[in-house]
Amino acid sequence: MTDADVPGAREVVVGVGAGAAGFDHERGGGGPGSSIATTDMVLNVGPQHPATHGVLRLRLTLDGERVVACEPIVGYMHRGVEKLFEVRDYRQIIVLANRHDWLSAFSSELGVVMAVEHMLGMEVPERAVWLRTMLAELNRVLNHLMFLGSYPLEIGAITPMFYAFRERETIQEVMEEVSGGRMHYMFNRVGGLKEDVPAGWTGRVRAAVAAVRSRMPQIEDLVLGNEIFRARTRGIGYLSPELVHAYGVSGPIARASGVDLDLRRDEPYLAYGTLADEGVLEVVTRTEGDSYARYCCLVDQVRVSLALVDACLAHLEDLPPGPVGVRLPKIVKAPEGSTYVWTENPLGLNGYYLVSRGEKTPWRLKLRSASFNNVAVLPHVLTGCVVADMVAVLGSMFFVVGDIDK
Amino acid sequence: MRVPGRGLLTGLAVTWRAMTRRSVTQHYPEVAPDLPPRSRGVIALQEENCTSCMLCARECPAWCISIDSHQEVEPATTEGGRDRSHSVLDSFDIDFSLCMYCSICIEVCPFDALHWSPEFEYAETDIRDLTHGRDRLREWMWTVPPPQPLDPHAVDPKELDAARKAAEADDASGTGP
Repeated sequence: MTDADVPGAREVVVGVGAGAAGFDHERGGGGPGSSIATTDMVLNVGPQHPATHGVLRLRLTLDGERVVACEPIVGYMHRGVEKLFEVRDYRQIIVLANRHDWLSAFSSELGVVMAVEHMLGMEVPERAVWLRTMLAELNRVLNHLMFLGSYPLEIGAITPMFYAFRERETIQEVMEEVSGGRMHYMFNRVGGLKEDVPAGWTGRVRAAVAAVRSRMPQIEDLVLGNEIFRARTRGIGYLSPELVHAYGVSGPIARASGVDLDLRRDEPYLAYGTLADEGVLEVVTRTEGDSYARYCCLVDQVRVSLALVDACLAHLEDLPPGPVGVRLPKIVKAPEGSTYVWTENPLGLNGYYLVSRGEKTPWRLKLRSASFNNVAVLPHVLTGCVVADMVAVLGSMFFVVGDIDK
Repeated sequence: MRVPGRGLLTGLAVTWRAMTRRSVTQHYPEVAPDLPPRSRGVIALQEENCTSCMLCARECPAWCISIDSHQEVEPATTEGGRDRSHSVLDSFDIDFSLCMYCSICIEVCPFDALHWSPEFEYAETDIRDLTHGRDRLREWMWTVPPPQPLDPHAVDPKELDAARKAAEADDASGTGP
């Protein structure tokens, strides 16, 4: 049967595309469109594409508007960071470690130095521990604000970006004042921090946190209640807890699917144990597992992180004056052996497996980055979506391409 | 039951309120940004302090520093004394197209010859022009801000401790001013 045989079929094909068959079937019809033979089309999204924020390539197989298969092709930004780690001493590794995920630089640095400290059995001064906790949480807020702005942008709302960036700038300023960098802080050292904070800085952090907290409802009002945003994201891109476990998905995405795992509470490092006992550290979870739930998780995590920063500030006030670092020998050598340290990075679990043969460089430093696993699950989440929802799902997986490709 | 379109109106109310406030845009080329003293803008060189020991060039993870120097011999000033040799800096270049702004060179410098300056306006149209020699690095030295005082909960920097000890030693021996 050809198109010409059926009156009216022509309009359907022109209007919806070759996938009209699929749509017609969904509408419960065995109507004219349902009998048209269709051919799958392969569509490459990326590697350079405005909707993928980075060089991620998706090889989509489309049946009309439906995605029937999806294959993320990664590696366009592979810099061989694990190999580079092997020819650098531990201070130089920090330089590289804060670059694979450029939105969570501080937290990634933290993993490296904690691994080395663990190998050396080094005790970090209490003041450094609290400062690190606070800076890691500020970094988390910065990271989440980026996605809170960019995700609506990806599905067509440009306004929230400006609000998110205003808040980012407020926090960026205090981060820049303390570390000198806006992105690659380079503020961690084995045994503590590079230097102590400037006078009056804690007051400015408190003011920045209060300002961001007071303005967060604006982003929520702009986005969360918006009917268009809800229509584009609710029930879209469902990620089941089974898939989360199967693919090792972690971070806010996993928690939005009801997987209640947060290393800050479950395997406390830094000062998170105390903060959890005090009840400040609240693990945000959702059960819906769709794009909307993932976005809501980020919004609530910002709120929790800001509360954590305030709690850290209060603890820092009570601490006696003390150093923020351990005096190190000229050459730091991790003793022979191996260790695995993982941290709850803003985007998920970030692990460093450090093997040392007693040299000043590691024998092997394996990096487990969150985005890689979070993107690996995409074929399952995207299959069955329509092309227009592809971006809504992709954006809600909250990844950084540098963190995928390493 | 939600009123349809209410979410949109709430959002519009936010933008309406924002419209009545002053914008937060920085007017960069007209108004210079107010950067904190620790800002890592560019590396400045205090040439007199440099002993061309090459520590910075060796520790740099990007190998972006190149130093050339030669030895000069100072004849002995006293009879039977030894000739003294010291190295003289010929060239000191930093390739800012490679620099990762990690501040390791500044940290390892034992004689405080390198400093961070918040200066950032040195963009070039040719990547080769991003290599800056000792003269340019020295010009930036005059833009290096004094370090900020530290938090009252911080311990004093080791330089301050050393200076205090030296002063005390002077007092004890009675040779001080």
